[in-house]
Amino acid sequence: MLRYILRRLLLAIPTLLAVLTVIFFIVRVAPGDPATAALGDYASAEAVAAMRERMGLNEPLWKQYLTFLADLARGDLGRSLITGKPISEQISFVLPYTVELAIAAIVVGLILGVPIGVITALRRNTLIDDIGRIVSLVGLSLPAFYLGIILMFVFAVKLGLLPSVGSAPFSNPGKHLQHVILPALALGLIETAYMARMTRSVMMGILSDDFIRTARAKGLTERMVLIRHALRAGLIPIVSLTGIFAISLIGSSVVVEEVFARPGLGRLMVGATKQRDYTALQSIMVVYSLIIIVINLMTDIIYTFVDPRVRID
Amino acid sequence: MVFNGLVRYQPGNSAVIEPDLATEIPEPEMTADGKQTWTFQLRQGVMCHPGPQTESYELTADDVVYSLQKSATTERSAYAGEYAGMTFEKVDTYTVRITLDRPLSPTLFLPKVANYSGGFIVCAQAVEAMGDEAFKTHPVGTGPFMFQEYTPQTAIKLVAFDQYFRGAPKLAGVELRFMPDVSSRELGLQAGDLDVAEGLIEAQWVERINASGNLRADVFGVGEVSFLNINITKPPFDNPLVRQAIAYAISRDDHVALFNEPVAEPVYSVVPAQLLPGGLTREEAEERGVLFEQDIEKAKQLLAEAGYPDGFSIDLITSEMPTYRRNYEVLQAELAEIGIQVNLNVVAHATMHEQIRQDVNPIVIYVAWRPNADAFLTRFFHSDSIIMTGKAPDTNFSHYDKIDDLIEQARYETDPDRQEELWKQANEQVLRDVAAYPLLFTNQVYARSTAVDYGHELVSSLALYPQITELTTINR
Repeated sequence: MLRYILRRLLLAIPTLLAVLTVIFFIVRVAPGDPATAALGDYASAEAVAAMRERMGLNEPLWKQYLTFLADLARGDLGRSLITGKPISEQISFVLPYTVELAIAAIVVGLILGVPIGVITALRRNTLIDDIGRIVSLVGLSLPAFYLGIILMFVFAVKLGLLPSVGSAPFSNPGKHLQHVILPALALGLIETAYMARMTRSVMMGILSDDFIRTARAKGLTERMVLIRHALRAGLIPIVSLTGIFAISLIGSSVVVEEVFARPGLGRLMVGATKQRDYTALQSIMVVYSLIIIVINLMTDIIYTFVDPRVRID
Repeated sequence: MVFNGLVRYQPGNSAVIEPDLATEIPEPEMTADGKQTWTFQLRQGVMCHPGPQTESYELTADDVVYSLQKSATTERSAYAGEYAGMTFEKVDTYTVRITLDRPLSPTLFLPKVANYSGGFIVCAQAVEAMGDEAFKTHPVGTGPFMFQEYTPQTAIKLVAFDQYFRGAPKLAGVELRFMPDVSSRELGLQAGDLDVAEGLIEAQWVERINASGNLRADVFGVGEVSFLNINITKPPFDNPLVRQAIAYAISRDDHVALFNEPVAEPVYSVVPAQLLPGGLTREEAEERGVLFEQDIEKAKQLLAEAGYPDGFSIDLITSEMPTYRRNYEVLQAELAEIGIQVNLNVVAHATMHEQIRQDVNPIVIYVAWRPNADAFLTRFFHSDSIIMTGKAPDTNFSHYDKIDDLIEQARYETDPDRQEELWKQANEQVLRDVAAYPLLFTNQVYARSTAVDYGHELVSSLALYPQITELTTINR
């Protein structure tokens, strides 16, 4: 297993290198200038020129590229062009917030989506099924930021149950958790819709399979049939969807982080893009790529647990 | 909030300059060799915030000289140009003398030593201990609130500095959050999680907020001027008749209506008469014959006279930001009426800023605030500032070069009244040549909980947000 993981990580290096190269040049091709962004449009042309020199933007592009790669090889993500602070510091501050939000959203999606899917599959073409389908259609059509605003309006403004915007530090867990709930719902309810739809169709297929009939014929209770046989067989697609969802969550968390004014990797990236903070942007993208590689790896490993037929070597 | 200046803009009213670290505003003196000196007496007992590597200590002339010299050094400051030809010296512990090679009027000099941009007085020992780079993200000054924490793209936290020389702040601290989404700011206010938030620059938004019981929206200066710059060297705009036709095609009211009064107001010269000496009021523009009220027939006639009876078509780019895009769209409709077809391409804001500096647009709409008439006129209409080809390319998009003398004469005029008149003449000339056309003035809009009392009346703030001072309170 360990050898497999190591091999997968090594194989990821060429992918990462290709991604890095594309990112490095693309962020610089986009028109706009970090020096002007840093100083504001009021700054004189002279000041902007001095700033460009200080930021090292007058160095030839290939030299900037090599410096970037060399730093990265040493595990150094560089310093932000705008704040001059180490980027690794900024990322390690916000990363826990983004990971926490993604995990919370996945949990919401799983604990709501899978049961809804199973129940609607069992009660096919009844009122419950219809309601389930309509609700999940609504979920599928709502953008996360809009759902976020609705949740904020209901739970923070009207009911006053939860805080609306901002975040609390991890050192204050109670308050911190309160700030996670609404953003996690905004993202998680959308996942719930996907998860419920997929679970429903997978379960419907499985429930008409021969081995289910056999299980029932053995005299197993319906509950045992469902949990030991049907659900177990349905786990693979659920794990796949969760993996895909985790990746898309890292991206879609951007808007939710903006709406709820939470710190996070997405906001850091949007801010860096607006300010044309090339060094910060490319390093954030490196971290994104790494996260995606790790999630894919984890999905593959989980497969081996849920389905013993999947062998890693 | 973190820094003071020798003088300051009165909280809530930036038109008034009053002493800050100085005990009073001095009268300038002339030296035998034609230089001008300003001697400032400093308050005693002003304490610096404790820094990450320094203890709190009393601010003296050393810190003031250090700060202003820092602002005057190109490698250390973006504002160095503003301090060229100025020397700073310590006379004694509480006295600083500033010598100007060329005398300036108080209107132009005092802002350089006020609590804004280059005029901020830093605590020299803290800067020296930390270095310029670290100081940028951990400022150490003498203001009512001291820096506590900065989270990139998220928030800045400030805490009360109890030894502040005007008295301990009534608030325990201030947290400034970066929240790009206006609806979440509004909900944050309504839920009581935020106390003050930037609003939408629209009269309808202001009305809506004021209709809700526990919130108030404030409309205040300083705002920004939106104006047209026309490239006078590029055919067909090199023909004055074409430029006049464009001026007569525009309706200021239609542009003001984009945001509505009182948030937006009409403006009659690029330097806004609203807040700056040297701008033209409606009456003055009319008297001087440069009002250019909409007259479609006259515009068509001028265009025909110029040899374009059927009009022509041009390509323009605009930023995606509403303040720009909507003005361009109205202009598109206005010009269509006289046969000029505008093909509009929407691009990212940073992209627009780069492209217009490369002469992509023959007509540039720019939205700007500059602290005085000299900065407006120099940067938009002095030949040195012409984009691409000027001596120090800046934002002269119209390639205009006909008021260099007036700008320079006004800059070194020490009598405020005569200076104001020279600026008015410069504005008049720009309009007469239709190198520019002022569209509208937009104020700032901030909403607050009714529990918030800024501690002053809010008329205008240079900081682009309401000032939080030692007198600000929240009573819930």
